[in-house]
Amino acid sequence: MTLSRRDFLKLSALVTASAALSSCAPVYRRLAGDLPAVPWTALPAADFLALNRLTFGPRVEERARFTEIGLQAWIEEQLDFESINDFDCDLQLVPFKTLKKAANELEGISNQLFDGYDRESIPNELRQATLMRQIYSKRQLYEIMVEFWSDHFNIFIEKGNGFYLKTVDDREVIRKHALGSFRDLVWASSHSPAMMIYLDNQANEKSHPNENYARELMELHTLGVNGGYTQKDVMELARCLTGWNVKEHFWLGDFVFKDDLHDTGEKNVLGLSIQSSGQAEAEQVIEMLVAHPSTAKFISTKLARRFIADDPPQALIEKAAQTFINTKGDIKSVLRVILFEGLALAQPKYKRPANFVLSSLRMLNAETDAVAINEHLLRMGQLYFNWPTPDGYPDYSAAWQGNLMPRWQFAFALIRNELKSTKHDLNSLLDVSSTGILQDDVDSLTSLLLGAPIERSARDGLIDTVRAAGATDEETLQIIAASVIASPAFQWR
Amino acid sequence: MLTQTLPTWLPRLSFAPVNTAPRGDTLVVVFLRGAADVLNMVVPHGEDAYYQLRPSLGIARPDDSSAKKEDRAVDLDGFFGFHPTMRPLIEAWQSEQLAIIHACGAPDESRSHFKAMELMERGVDDERGPASGWIGRHLATLNTGNSSPLRAVGMGTRPQRSLSGSVPASALRSIADFHLGGDPRALQQMRAALNTVYQDDALGQDTLSIMDTLQKLDPANYQSPNYPDTEFGMALKQTAMLIKAEVGLEVSAIDLGGWDTHFAQGSANGLMPNLMKDLAEGLAAFHADMADHMNQLTTVTMSEFGRRASENGSLGTDHGHGSMMMVIGGNVNGGKVYGQWPGMADDQLIGPGDLAVTTDYRDVLSEILTKRLNNPAVNEIFPDYQPIIPNVIV
Repeated sequence: MTLSRRDFLKLSALVTASAALSSCAPVYRRLAGDLPAVPWTALPAADFLALNRLTFGPRVEERARFTEIGLQAWIEEQLDFESINDFDCDLQLVPFKTLKKAANELEGISNQLFDGYDRESIPNELRQATLMRQIYSKRQLYEIMVEFWSDHFNIFIEKGNGFYLKTVDDREVIRKHALGSFRDLVWASSHSPAMMIYLDNQANEKSHPNENYARELMELHTLGVNGGYTQKDVMELARCLTGWNVKEHFWLGDFVFKDDLHDTGEKNVLGLSIQSSGQAEAEQVIEMLVAHPSTAKFISTKLARRFIADDPPQALIEKAAQTFINTKGDIKSVLRVILFEGLALAQPKYKRPANFVLSSLRMLNAETDAVAINEHLLRMGQLYFNWPTPDGYPDYSAAWQGNLMPRWQFAFALIRNELKSTKHDLNSLLDVSSTGILQDDVDSLTSLLLGAPIERSARDGLIDTVRAAGATDEETLQIIAASVIASPAFQWR
Repeated sequence: MLTQTLPTWLPRLSFAPVNTAPRGDTLVVVFLRGAADVLNMVVPHGEDAYYQLRPSLGIARPDDSSAKKEDRAVDLDGFFGFHPTMRPLIEAWQSEQLAIIHACGAPDESRSHFKAMELMERGVDDERGPASGWIGRHLATLNTGNSSPLRAVGMGTRPQRSLSGSVPASALRSIADFHLGGDPRALQQMRAALNTVYQDDALGQDTLSIMDTLQKLDPANYQSPNYPDTEFGMALKQTAMLIKAEVGLEVSAIDLGGWDTHFAQGSANGLMPNLMKDLAEGLAAFHADMADHMNQLTTVTMSEFGRRASENGSLGTDHGHGSMMMVIGGNVNGGKVYGQWPGMADDQLIGPGDLAVTTDYRDVLSEILTKRLNNPAVNEIFPDYQPIIPNVIV
């Protein structure tokens, strides 16, 4: 990473400050500087939709950049995520000490000897860091893909030792390969101790195989449920995976292949005859699975569902799947097809709870340490790493409709600055783009949150309603802001 | 207003159901997610093969003096017995208000949780059927003269798939938390604004009126038997509160998850017994709490499939096929295990060694829908399916 002069100065200040204030998060936040507030104007609906799909809710400077360079260049810039300077976000992650630690170190931190294990602190730090990155990172498309793969390779953090192993999985599997090759992603996930514990492969032994991971590897991670495997294939792959295990002593929490638990007999998976070769048997199957046409189609469908529509167009899926096959699962290449050719065909998608929360915080330039958000995400049903079953949080609109109250509660509390360690300054933000007259403020606000101002009659009707309920001008703006965030239109992206 | 970017295909209450009938029972649907191991829940203790297939996990016969008394099955009819943790339900069984349908389930043999749950909640044989849920279609095909926004409620944070359809259903996690907070002045302003931005939106209007309705309830002072202090216990307790408050509840959908016990499920004690304890104590508390309402209440439990007849090497069980349903209510012909028992010998098990299905889950639901919920349109609720009524209902 190259540092600009501004970054260098911040870093120098940090080094000076760090001796006295080593784990004080607000210092890092202050050092990261104020969030930029540039004026914004109404966007064409298609542009606002694209930005809503490619970010967790566009910040004003992201709107400006998008308008400046256009959709195609913006996507290319985001895909080349490593070249985006994310120093301000990285600075805010400095206090999260567990993110970079190895499994055995994390076990040591959480092991309180006579008092058992602290099963809360490490997951909470991972949740907080995940939200902070989604809010503050400039690498928005990358963070969206991190969230996508976290669902695809879902791990329930509360099961077994997942409470500390998931932090390693997040770093070494999901974040490492989120925009890389799908083959490497599956390879890393299959060797990930967190996944092994979650899907019981540590209990998969030659005398009695355990089918759990073998099934989900084909059903959910690669081929899809209609991808052409049978119950017999599940049982045979489970035999190949016997002995794939997790170290319990030295380098505890690392992957290990246990020879003595491995079934050395001949196997046959999806018509491929597999000779006894220990760990290489399942690895041979994994290579076959990631190159299988069913996998190309399944992954393309899920990506198109995330970015384009609940029921994405068949032609788009097929084109993306062909690219998947041609590029041996290069995620960026598949995304180019889906985004460049699919965005014009996009259908409305209901925001999932995290997306709803994040978009309101980002669009309002709110400052937060993300802690208070978790309680709200729990009520809405999307506390991260808390989905018990291996299919991940649902990604179709109907799954999330019908639970409006916690969204309204969040909107109301956010605007009233009642969320702990979370603050917005709506008035100052509106000063950048508005005259200060109430009607203009509301136009600027709806342009910010919905892409373009709402019709004048609707705006005036809303103002009259709130005034009639006894609000002052200052209160009126607040209530309107909360109700726009709570409104049907803001629930869609 | 502010609905301008809404898709036009959003569900609307703009149709008229074909059938009109007075509302029948309140239906409580409990879904055991993760494929519950019903062979250890309602144990076929008269089946020798059961004990051969489950040397470690099997639940001892009611008369097996080599096992501790509290670890033995609780006999029901000389062949089947409850797991000891299910004992709280014995009262409902003895009062003949609880019926069991064993070897019950769906034809799907994918052994995939997600496919099986989806098909079962939609009430269809394969992906081609209607996208709505079976409860959603029940609500949509029957006009009971009840327009309450609490007609169908999904306990939890998301309405269940079975509820989806043209009649909006709301999720309800906590009656006590179902308010906006804030000072009365700001609250009044916010309510007015929400009413305006949701003026054309059925779900939003429903949410506002649910907020008003629930405000009148007093969950903190609700007098009730001891529901377990769990999410499941809470969901049943809230269902009871809504029924007693007469707010128009017709269907309550409740989930109890965690049944995917591939590893260390436990026999008399452990992971799965803890879940069964939650299930049995919850349902027993609900049964006691609702004693005066039993003639207008039917509760049914279901799970997406059963588990392998033989235990695996991890003291758990892998995905199987045949499952089990329980039906509880004042009009249930209970105290009896229904269904043809397919047996557990080698040549009686199917696929990789799974209990066969001899009663389709839709047979049981169809009977409840027809006889207790007054809906004559089961052919629309379960399209392309001809139910065989098992006569579980009086």
